[in-house]
Amino acid sequence: MAKRFDASRRTIVKSAAAAALVPAMPRPAFSVEPIRIGMPAALTGPVAGVGAQMRRACEFWAKQVNAKGGLLGRPVELIISDTEGNPAIAVRKAQEMVERDGVRILTCIVVSNEALATVPRLAEWDTIFVSGDNGDGRLTGESLVPNFFRPNVSGPMGTRAVSLYLRDSPMKNFYGLGMDYAWGHNSMEVFEAECKRADKKFTGAVFSPMGTKDFSTYITRIRQSGADGVYLVLSGDDNAAFLSQAKQYRLGDKVQLLTELVDQMTINATGDATVGLIGGSRYPYTYDIPANKAFVAAWQAVYHTLPDMFEGDQYQSCIVLQAGIEKAGSTEAAKLRAALEGLEVDSIKGRVIMRACDHQGEQQGFVTKIVKREGMEHPVPEVIATYPANRITPPCNKMVYDD
Amino acid sequence: MGNWRLFFLAAIVLAAAPLGLPLFAMTLLTEALILGLLAMSLDLMVGYTRMISFGHAAAYGLGAYTCGFLALHTAMPLPFSLLAAALLAGVVAIGVGWVCTMATGISFSMLTLAFAQLLYALAFKWTSVTGASDGLAGIPRRAGPFGMTVLETRNGYYYLVLASMLGGFALCRSLVNSPFGAVLRGIRENEAKTLSLGYNTRLYKISVVTISFALGGLAGALYAPFAGFANTDLLFWLFSGQVLIMVIVGGQGTLVGPILGAAFFMLVEHVLSAYTDAWALFFGLIFIGFVMFALEGIWRILTSRLPARSRA
Repeated sequence: MAKRFDASRRTIVKSAAAAALVPAMPRPAFSVEPIRIGMPAALTGPVAGVGAQMRRACEFWAKQVNAKGGLLGRPVELIISDTEGNPAIAVRKAQEMVERDGVRILTCIVVSNEALATVPRLAEWDTIFVSGDNGDGRLTGESLVPNFFRPNVSGPMGTRAVSLYLRDSPMKNFYGLGMDYAWGHNSMEVFEAECKRADKKFTGAVFSPMGTKDFSTYITRIRQSGADGVYLVLSGDDNAAFLSQAKQYRLGDKVQLLTELVDQMTINATGDATVGLIGGSRYPYTYDIPANKAFVAAWQAVYHTLPDMFEGDQYQSCIVLQAGIEKAGSTEAAKLRAALEGLEVDSIKGRVIMRACDHQGEQQGFVTKIVKREGMEHPVPEVIATYPANRITPPCNKMVYDD
Repeated sequence: MGNWRLFFLAAIVLAAAPLGLPLFAMTLLTEALILGLLAMSLDLMVGYTRMISFGHAAAYGLGAYTCGFLALHTAMPLPFSLLAAALLAGVVAIGVGWVCTMATGISFSMLTLAFAQLLYALAFKWTSVTGASDGLAGIPRRAGPFGMTVLETRNGYYYLVLASMLGGFALCRSLVNSPFGAVLRGIRENEAKTLSLGYNTRLYKISVVTISFALGGLAGALYAPFAGFANTDLLFWLFSGQVLIMVIVGGQGTLVGPILGAAFFMLVEHVLSAYTDAWALFFGLIFIGFVMFALEGIWRILTSRLPARSRA
């Protein structure tokens, strides 16, 4: 503990200075044009919690960058607008940012179907979109466009990590529950394929519409499936609603709950209902490397909480974007695209390589188990397995794995 | 004919808009005109015939999906896709109108709502055609006919939308001023009396639902290639409610009012949501304000200030 405090002291001072400086610095103090980054984020609706995490990560990053004099000597300015998690509004807001505010870089689009609706327009807008959390495998598969980059863990990658873990487990029969949109279906397909490859039985899946509050009928179907494990592809409010209800119905006594994603926000909202849950994590704040420890300490100094999963994943995307802009020496789409292709960055989750073939960030995968820890108010995700990037990242432009 | 003078004046101002407005303002204006066309089509039912539809999103969504599907899977030139979408919405409306007009008043409203939700559920489940919850993305603006590429450009598309909107307005205006319109108003004021005068009011009601849906379908069809996108939200009951709000805020039974109402709704939502996450709360307050203090709507408030001469 002493060591952790030591490491954080310097960052506390730095972050405090940053926090004090940035608001005090009037915008005209920069004589140069700022780098405007557009964030059409879902800040209301069922995934608002996820949107809030991603937004916080971007703001944290922008403050850090601006405290050090900005990027390429230009300050970073975030243009944030609410999309309500609605693809039609997301496209309109993104277009507004491009046409009115002169944005040429987008990030922080929360929902995969918003991202799928936006990417076909990127060429026309001459704009780069760096995903912060979009999971749908198609974004780097059949729907890939040259101006899209995904430094974050995709749905197939998260599913793959859990699947690799399950290969060695005694469980044999699996059932699935996913959110009824792009990401849910996509991840479930991958899980089904992984089950087949591992000689396990996948008995079926149900999909719940986004914003579902009552999961009792789904829980009944899971119970009746007779499976040993149920694979969940849920996020935001839906995830919390399902887990609390599953606890009431004592579903966990009958089947092992497995999930693609588990974030602290959901754990806090459901309390002990998540204990015992095994899940993939795109970013576990408990990951024990110096770069992550420094990040966690700096984050705590500003927000007085631990960085959550989407905060970490979005932050890593911001770091990749930053490295890309610095390498390109420009924010022009063509130059930035060239710089991002093949870029290697060491960040809070270890090394990320933005491979050129499909713009997916190659990185390792984590599997966590939710446990109660002495001295912690809420249960925490503990890393129980990590898998190297070459086993986690799918072949180029693909969503399924060869081995 | 003071109103027609105003119509031409508005047409000229709107036609000149691309010369003076910045890029994004043009995008907003295009969308406002599309929504205006939709709200105006609903006004035929709500304002002139007092058939309160809670399901007008059905027309819009049907048009958008049809046009989107045709643009994605066929090489059909855009104007033909638009017509096909409007036609389909109209044909579907004959059935809808036939069923819904079996009831009146609140039951009619509930039936329209049920029908729209049925389409919504269908769009959610019919993945191969509608893309389910992901919708149809990357809808192109197809060239043609005769190799004409002007509609692919931003301004070309704006003029297409403007022409559709003005054409729709001229049609609705002629319609409500015709003997057909007089019967509609008769139904609005006293259906039993109109019936006893020898008019088959149900036939009139089915006709107005059909025309209204066809125009609403055209609006939806214009939206799909404009946004490059169509999804189930376009069919959702919330959207039906929003269109109804546009009509009421703008001024029902005026045709022009709902167009202004649509533009007002879109701008307020857009501006408010840029400032606060709780924009829906403020919009709710604005709507309550209109219902309590200005039920006549924006258009009548504006025209009551004009000198009597130009109101003629």
